[in-house]
Amino acid sequence: MAELILRRVLVAIPTIIIVSMLVFALQKLLPGDPALLIAGEERDPKVVEFIREKYHLNDPVPVQYGYWVMNVLTGDFGISLRTDTPVTTLVAQKLPVTIQLAVMAMIIALLVGVPAGILSAVRKGTVTDYVANVVALSGLSIPNFWLGILLIFLVSVQLGWLPASGYVPPSEDLWLSIETMLMPAFVLGTALAATLMRHTRSAMIGILRSDYIRTARAKGLRQNKVVYKHALRNALVPIVTLMTLLFGELLGGAVLTEQIFTIPGFGKLVVDAVFTRDYQVVQGIVLCTAIGFIVMNLFADILYILINPRLRGA
Amino acid sequence: MAEPTDAVLTLENFSLRFAPGRNLVDDVSFSVAAGETLCIVGESGCGKSVTSLALMGLLPTPPADIVSGRATFEGRDLFQLFDSAMSDLRGSRISIIFQEPMTSLNPAFTVGNQLTETVLRHRKVDKAEAGRLALDMLRKVRIPAPEKRMSDYPHQLSGGMRQRVMIAMALVNEPKLLIADEPTTALDVTIQAQILSLIGALQEETGTAVIMITHDLGVVAETADKVAVMYAGSVVESGPAEAIFEDPQHPYTIGLMGAIPSLGRRSAKLATIAGTVPAIEAMPAGCRFAPRCPFAEPRCAEAPPLVPVGGKDDHRAACWFAPLEAHFSEVA
Repeated sequence: MAELILRRVLVAIPTIIIVSMLVFALQKLLPGDPALLIAGEERDPKVVEFIREKYHLNDPVPVQYGYWVMNVLTGDFGISLRTDTPVTTLVAQKLPVTIQLAVMAMIIALLVGVPAGILSAVRKGTVTDYVANVVALSGLSIPNFWLGILLIFLVSVQLGWLPASGYVPPSEDLWLSIETMLMPAFVLGTALAATLMRHTRSAMIGILRSDYIRTARAKGLRQNKVVYKHALRNALVPIVTLMTLLFGELLGGAVLTEQIFTIPGFGKLVVDAVFTRDYQVVQGIVLCTAIGFIVMNLFADILYILINPRLRGA
Repeated sequence: MAEPTDAVLTLENFSLRFAPGRNLVDDVSFSVAAGETLCIVGESGCGKSVTSLALMGLLPTPPADIVSGRATFEGRDLFQLFDSAMSDLRGSRISIIFQEPMTSLNPAFTVGNQLTETVLRHRKVDKAEAGRLALDMLRKVRIPAPEKRMSDYPHQLSGGMRQRVMIAMALVNEPKLLIADEPTTALDVTIQAQILSLIGALQEETGTAVIMITHDLGVVAETADKVAVMYAGSVVESGPAEAIFEDPQHPYTIGLMGAIPSLGRRSAKLATIAGTVPAIEAMPAGCRFAPRCPFAEPRCAEAPPLVPVGGKDDHRAACWFAPLEAHFSEVA
């Protein structure tokens, strides 16, 4: 099994290389001469030439790519044109925020979506199923910004239970950090819970009809054992797939939610960078997000192997 | 029906439907005694599998609707039991083997896990003891290298092996009644014979009553003590196996016998029964076989009762022409 996991890891490497090429090409495809951009007001040809030399802009593109990769590997993504801070520093500041939000949102989505999906599959066609579906549809249809604003108004302004916005690092005050993040995580999580619920439901419905579930019942097993052992274990594959994809998406940042709750995460960083044409930052974030996705997929692959014994022999 | 007192299961006047209107299974009665094998024969859709699932309490109601019937097992009517009482019987007093060995085992758990679980559900033993009982059962179904098989997953086994595991699972708690729903249909011919003889051997050892459901008269010939021939939801002929084979009385049974290919008769075209089973909405009010029956006449518009036809004990047929001998002389 270790060998199988190692193989999956090795397969991920070419994907990362291709992604890095695309990200690099993005920069090359942009209009304008980067040297002139860096030189700014000064158009002294000597300065421009110096910059070209310094940043290897006169070298062939593959060589430039090589230099870029070397830099990236040593943690140097370049410097933000707008704020003059290294991109690495920016990412290091925002990434933990985004990860915390994504993890909390995903926990909420799992706690709500999976049990609701199981329940509505087991009670298919009953009032419970109907209500769960209506709630899920509402969860999918209600825009995040609306729910966010509503929650701020109700929970923070009217009731004063939770802080309305901002961010507190968990290292500073863990409890306050969770409290501050709870509402945005809930807003993101409910939408994901609806998606998870629908997928869990359809996976469970299919499996509950299968022959081996009939066998489990024929053995006299009780409902709980049939549903939570025999059916759920097999329904986990689509649930894990969806979960990792959604999580990857969350890592890319949740622009609207971050904006409403003024959370200094990836979403806000990338929007700001795009609007100010801070390409180095955009490049750094795109690369990080893409790698995040690949890692999540790798994680899903490994989980599949653990869930499904048929994949182990291969 | 006059039933022998040692009957393990007696089903009386069982009718079932899925939608208001005609019954899909209509007034079916049969019984099976300890150590005995009752074969229920009929083509697909005749209601034999549905009857077995209803007996196991595995038919969701609704949509299924048991209109009438008693299934007496150990003094209790299975159709009146609560779900929890029924699930206590399932896998312990009554077991079932299904037609689809390839998909009937859970792919996510080992053979040992699924077998041991069955023991633990119904017996007050610890895990180690349950594991021993499971392993013993795998030996009894003659699986090679049973210790190794315990930790195998279903996908690592062939169809025949999986069916052996299913049999082990069904018999591990020594049930009084085993329902085998087309247990060999999905298997190779050579494996079919092995599985049938295995079921027979285990039955002899334990005295389990077996209800064998099949469409294959070859299986019937090999295993049956008693036979019930079903057509379109009702029993058209029943009786001891020899009587049915030597002296079939219902035109449908005769048609079925004619439809067996035989090496001896290679010249003739394979006989078939003309027409197809009518859809449930189009089912005739009288004899359900009448539209396909070569002997049909006006009185067949009324349903014939299942009556004794003389000869061997308790040989019955539901046909106005039975016993055929009397009528053949008329016709001839």
